[in-house]
Amino acid sequence: MLTLWLGICTGCVYVLVATGFNMVFVASGTFNFAQPQFLVLGTFLAYATVFSFGLSPWVALPFGLLVGAAIGVAEERLVIRPVRSKGINAELVTMVGWSVAMQGVMLLIWKENPLAVKGLAPDDVFTLLGVRVTAAQLVLVGVTLVLAVGLHLWSHLTMLGIASLATSEDREVAMLRGINVPRLGIGAFALAGGLLCAMGPIAGPTTFAVYSFGDTVVLYAFLAMAIGGFGHNIGAIIGGLGLGIFQAEISLHWGDKWISVLTFALLLSVLLLRPQGLFGERNERVV
Amino acid sequence: MTAWRLDRIPSWCLPLVVGLVLVAVPWFGTDPLWVRQLTLIAIYTMLVAGLNITFGYAGMLSLGQVAMFALGAYTTGILMIRGWSMLSSLVVAVVAAGVVGFVTGLPGLRLGGWGLGMTSFFLVLLIPDITQIFTEQTGGLYGLTAIPAATIGGRVLDKNEFYAVCIIAMVIVLALLRNLMLSSFGNSLRVLRRSPVLATSLGLNTNAIKAKAFVISSLPAGLGGGLVVCLDHFIAPTSFTLTLGVLIIAASVLGGSESIYGAFFGVAVIRLGTWQVTAFDKYSLVAYGLFLVVGGVFFSRGIAGLAEQQLLRWRPTRSQPTIAAQTREQAEPIPVTEVQPIPGSHLEVRGLTKHFQGNQALNEVSITAVPGQVTSLVGANGSGKTTLLNLISGLYRPTAGDVTLAGERLSGSAPHLVARRGVARTFQTPVLPDGMTVLEAVASARYANDAVSIAATVLRLPAHRRAERSRAEAARQALRLVGCEDLADQDAAGLALGTRRRVEVARALAADPHLILLDEAASGLDEGEVEELASVIRRIADAGATVLLVEHNFKMVCSVSDRIYVLESGRLLAEGAPDEIQRNAAVAESYLGQLPDADEMGATANAHE
Repeated sequence: MLTLWLGICTGCVYVLVATGFNMVFVASGTFNFAQPQFLVLGTFLAYATVFSFGLSPWVALPFGLLVGAAIGVAEERLVIRPVRSKGINAELVTMVGWSVAMQGVMLLIWKENPLAVKGLAPDDVFTLLGVRVTAAQLVLVGVTLVLAVGLHLWSHLTMLGIASLATSEDREVAMLRGINVPRLGIGAFALAGGLLCAMGPIAGPTTFAVYSFGDTVVLYAFLAMAIGGFGHNIGAIIGGLGLGIFQAEISLHWGDKWISVLTFALLLSVLLLRPQGLFGERNERVV
Repeated sequence: MTAWRLDRIPSWCLPLVVGLVLVAVPWFGTDPLWVRQLTLIAIYTMLVAGLNITFGYAGMLSLGQVAMFALGAYTTGILMIRGWSMLSSLVVAVVAAGVVGFVTGLPGLRLGGWGLGMTSFFLVLLIPDITQIFTEQTGGLYGLTAIPAATIGGRVLDKNEFYAVCIIAMVIVLALLRNLMLSSFGNSLRVLRRSPVLATSLGLNTNAIKAKAFVISSLPAGLGGGLVVCLDHFIAPTSFTLTLGVLIIAASVLGGSESIYGAFFGVAVIRLGTWQVTAFDKYSLVAYGLFLVVGGVFFSRGIAGLAEQQLLRWRPTRSQPTIAAQTREQAEPIPVTEVQPIPGSHLEVRGLTKHFQGNQALNEVSITAVPGQVTSLVGANGSGKTTLLNLISGLYRPTAGDVTLAGERLSGSAPHLVARRGVARTFQTPVLPDGMTVLEAVASARYANDAVSIAATVLRLPAHRRAERSRAEAARQALRLVGCEDLADQDAAGLALGTRRRVEVARALAADPHLILLDEAASGLDEGEVEELASVIRRIADAGATVLLVEHNFKMVCSVSDRIYVLESGRLLAEGAPDEIQRNAAVAESYLGQLPDADEMGATANAHE
């Protein structure tokens, strides 16, 4: 039971990042490689809010939202838009560069040692179904589920959400239908960046603030998204939580050194056997 | 005068001289620290040159090199500790890198873009965990220590001699890779990068090409890993990180990813530029990151690109298309007697049906196309014309019905096999790869038929030269037939639309096809260009080819065709000679949207788009 719960908590981090991926992917057709760095930055900002500025952790929410949105906009303008016409390879290079640069700046400011983050919840511990559960973990799981389900409903029920879906289907047709595709893209970068950065005080107590955290999370969240189907948030919940539980079980039964090896095997099998994920659709048209 | 003299010097002389000078460096009394830096530059250059093959030429971002580097290092280290000599350990390391490169490349055959990038990043991340799983052999987290000194024939090499070995290895690796990339193989990778669909339609087996690229790009990485162990005498699992991956991508982008020699300059600038900055370690991530951003946004072709621009001033062969060539009025048509016969085959399409998830794109369509005739398919957008072409070329699998060429069944074969059976095609939007001359682009149609082994290509054996000559000859002939022979040395991607379409027709012809599929050949062309193209098509059919044309321009179709098929909503509406179709009331109503009227017959039929 404890393993299951720990798996769910880790899984929630993947779900958060995967919903960020999805938001950008749906609105602009780009896989934002730097997305996890926004969450990592959020955890550092949450740390700084409490321990450097002496403010309440609640301040970290709007603070993270603003900083994350600003960096998201900067990313779209500086490294995505200029290379749009140059094909996916150019985008890959600039986005990896942006991600590494963000990581480097965090390393410069906060150094390499993990920092403990004070979250929104008090340090209470409960016992639920025989498992010791911290309030911070409950907040993380609750917020993640609400956010992911909320985004799913938003993208299927509001005009803006439907416009995003339309854009991910076909950029040009969406433009012809009067959707402001470039603005939608930049909005998605801002929103995804802001939301993930604001998750700092929520995820931070579980993940700590570590500059290299994004290295692995980018891969695991990518896998969570691939399992669920690109662009699908309910799929991301299933993929993320499933992956978290999978890894927690491996760690319990086989040891930590097998986690990444077996997760890699899972990634390969998903990409090769069901590349469209659980909820995705395949396209056949080629010319 | 200068240009003439430069042309006479064989191109391999410059690298040879640079290599000799580099080998001699330590004996000028150079600081040992510098010698070590240059040794490392040589080793990393091999790594980056390997990356350039998959990333630069084939357009697949894979960081597999870092994993192969680690594999080469561990293999060499483990073997040398067990008493193997340096050279035999290195050979095993290179072979192991090739084998593992093949296995880890397999997912890359199906994945592209991010899927491939992410699995290869993941592979790098696995290295420390794998060394822990095999702690007994690899020393786990502590790494391998006390690896014996580098020897050749039992003689221990000093630092300077080992440096010379690394430089020689680098020069050999670069020379071989350069020969490989300046060949049909390198051009096949460019075609693949531009469009996998184009590659298969030229009969190229994309899976085989990608697999070869993965293996070849792993070999220098394995060698480099082996050499770095001999330099340092120990291995730490922490030396093979994503940061190393980012560093080699940065070096590749800086040097110019689509080049071989660029790797050396990219690595040299990065290593020497950061070496003297004592505090660099702290800033390294930020610096590499910004580097990739700036490099990716501003100079996509790196140092090699700049160097090539300078060279162009000296060697005018690969010049940009001149304005005169782009806008010239009419190419003088060649006399029909000069046209070589093009033996076409009989195409039979019977009851062909294709459903896309319930959407019936094509329904029970039967058509025939015979040698020496132009057969046309017309119909409104979405009537199934392109679907039919894609079914014939094997890009789609039919739901029912079949396609036979000269009595042999085509449907069910993979598209590249269909192409090798003699089916050539052009595309709605002409697809010509970047970085190739018109002659090379046209000659690429023959790569599948007269393939030369990689060994023959790399060593420039007579078989390679023979094949190059025969391809060039066939390409020139095809270009002459479409009236574009004078453009042979121009940059293919920079041509005007009308010319691009004719070059595509030439490419289709160069394959000695039994069936030529032309997909919306005239769309986007002005009236003069349409006439030119029509006369080219007519000439090809008169030479005996079987031509199947999909086209919207009704006037052109009527002028050039022997037989016309009209499609509507995936069904055959009418068929017959041009004048029969023009008089057909059903066609006029459904397709032209009006009753037949002699005056308006000439209007293009796609006005409602």
